[in-house]
Amino acid sequence: MPNMLWLQGGACSGNTMSFLNAEEPSACDLVTDFGINVLWHPSLGLELGENLQKMLNGLVSGEIPLDIFVFEGSVVNAPNGTGQWNRFAGRAMKDWVSDLCKVAGYVVAVGDCATWGGIPATAPNPSDSQGLQFLKRSHGGYLGTGYTSKAGLPVINVPGCPAHPDWITQIVVAVATGRGGELTLDEFQRPKTFFTSFTQTGCTRNMHFAYKVSATEFGQRKGCLFYDLGCRGPMTHSPCNRILWNRQSSKTRAGMPCMGCTEPEFPFFDLAPGTVFKTQTVMGVPKDMPTGVDKSGYIKLTAAAKAASPRWAEEDIFVV
Amino acid sequence: MRENNDKDTRETIATLLVSGFPTEAFPRADSHEMILDIVARLHALPDDLAQKLTVAGFTPEPVDIDGLSQSCETCMYYLVHQRFCELPELLLPVEPEWSCRLWRI
Repeated sequence: MPNMLWLQGGACSGNTMSFLNAEEPSACDLVTDFGINVLWHPSLGLELGENLQKMLNGLVSGEIPLDIFVFEGSVVNAPNGTGQWNRFAGRAMKDWVSDLCKVAGYVVAVGDCATWGGIPATAPNPSDSQGLQFLKRSHGGYLGTGYTSKAGLPVINVPGCPAHPDWITQIVVAVATGRGGELTLDEFQRPKTFFTSFTQTGCTRNMHFAYKVSATEFGQRKGCLFYDLGCRGPMTHSPCNRILWNRQSSKTRAGMPCMGCTEPEFPFFDLAPGTVFKTQTVMGVPKDMPTGVDKSGYIKLTAAAKAASPRWAEEDIFVV
Repeated sequence: MRENNDKDTRETIATLLVSGFPTEAFPRADSHEMILDIVARLHALPDDLAQKLTVAGFTPEPVDIDGLSQSCETCMYYLVHQRFCELPELLLPVEPEWSCRLWRI
């Protein structure tokens, strides 16, 4: 029976909420169907005070095997590298993280804060936050570039703000059932099975993207959100339109631009005013192109596609 | 109904532009900050056609910048079949060969 421990650093609990909403498999399925022993979790753990400390010390000493260590939230180093702004069970959380990562079979970072630092690490980063093995795009993070868990893998990064519930539980099940070795990770240590395709893959507004018809206001039932409303779907790696949220929809299907939350730079442009829901342009051309597309190709394609667009593409259509 | 109104408005605009009606066609909105500034000015205007044309910098022909022809025809706010600019602060019937400084592709 694999033991799983879930701790929370500089976090809003969004990934905990996401995890508790998982469906395929659910958090209960982890226990009943896959035999995972949830040692402790911020919302599910029963142990308190000295009992919790005793359990954590038992894990650090090796007395209790730690098969899967899930970490949510940033590693807080402030003030002055002590980590005392984020204390847990009698000591700085970062010290527990150091000790637990040394003994863990697998380490899974869940959500942007644990993977790249996320919103807490946005400039000026007052909490001196880091992700477990990245700080934004920079490899290293709190554990350093060379870190591998006992199973020989680096930290498995499951980003998102929050991560989709089923990305979390499916990765936990994979490592709990001995299939961790089959995981292939991308350059940012994200499982390729989830993070090779784009948010745009499966978007119901793809035909508007193709015909270069733009949504210009929220709530429109036509138009692509990339051209004017700041959608990052064409350059964000996530399966949000393949593995739907609540099994029903996605941000873009509901008319909300993708904010690129599975990418290390999130939140983009450090949340400067006017940058979140507005496509940034230079001389009228988008600053960030769809991945793999160059400026001259984009301009040629746009002119041709727009000229060829059918009348229906300009009218309301049910894209939700 | 809108088509008739659009036709009349389009003709009014065309007459104005061809007669040399002065607009703020330059400087172009090259940076994000300039775009926000111009959009904010448009947002604050009363519903006045001439002022909209002036602030947006309409011209009756495309403006070429760095080899790029900035015409309504290729702009993301342009609806090809309706010949209409859908920028919320403008919402004007236009011609494909016209241009304004909020052009974006």
